[in-house]
Amino acid sequence: MGITDDEKLEGMLKSRHIEPASPDLASRIILRASEIPQNQPLSLWQWMRQLFADFLPKPAYILASVLILGLVIGFSTATDTTPTDDSNPINIQGFLYPDEGPL
Amino acid sequence: MAAANWPDKDDHELLGLIQDRGHHAFAELVKRHTERFYRLAYRYVQSKETAEDIVQDAFLKLWENPGIWQPERNNKFTTWFYRIVVNLCLDWQKKKRPVELDDDIPVSDDREPLDTAMIVAQGQQRLEKEIRALPERQRTALNLCFEEGLSNQEAAEVMGVKLKALQSLIMRAKTTLKDRMKHYL
Repeated sequence: MGITDDEKLEGMLKSRHIEPASPDLASRIILRASEIPQNQPLSLWQWMRQLFADFLPKPAYILASVLILGLVIGFSTATDTTPTDDSNPINIQGFLYPDEGPL
Repeated sequence: MAAANWPDKDDHELLGLIQDRGHHAFAELVKRHTERFYRLAYRYVQSKETAEDIVQDAFLKLWENPGIWQPERNNKFTTWFYRIVVNLCLDWQKKKRPVELDDDIPVSDDREPLDTAMIVAQGQQRLEKEIRALPERQRTALNLCFEEGLSNQEAAEVMGVKLKALQSLIMRAKTTLKDRMKHYL
């Protein structure tokens, strides 16, 4: 019995050409890593310190942040205190046309 | 620690030491696994320089951010790292222009006797082009399953699929390839 197409394909897949890597590839990677500092995971406290260290010397960022914070608080407060009771339309008419009697 | 001890440590121990800035441990891990990850990358990119760059990028990513290795979420370093290499290869391929299959490879027939070595070389060249044209998941399944020392179960874990799904991907890939490579089989 001859070799089936399946087996021939399998053979071709197993014998795919791979150009060998440079013999110094591992050494190059190791050398390159020695030139790069590691980023260690930061604790919350370290993260906060870094955040303040980065942002405090920049007044523009602080100003913008305070402004945005103020707007957010202002809007949320305004939403809470706006009267929304419009169940009595006569009151509104009385307010709009104070000199006229009710229709 | 004496250098002679490094080869005795398993991958997980080395990774723990890398997280404590252990450059020797990193060196040992690189020496131990560079070749296998290079072979996989080469299967994707078919270029020695690019495959080497991809393997280097993958290892440097690990060195720079050792916290990306989370032992509680991964069973085996190689399975996890194969995934990183595969993702880098796929990213690289996405950045490249789409695959275009050219028809400049003459298909041999009975009329013109060709040197056997030439036919084999043409067949291999054609095979690489056809593999590149496969859908991404089928290509990945094929590349992983024919990688030395990687079981089908591990290949399925790298891809994050069940073994059955992997086998189905392989079967579909082979069916397509058999059809497209019929002149060479």
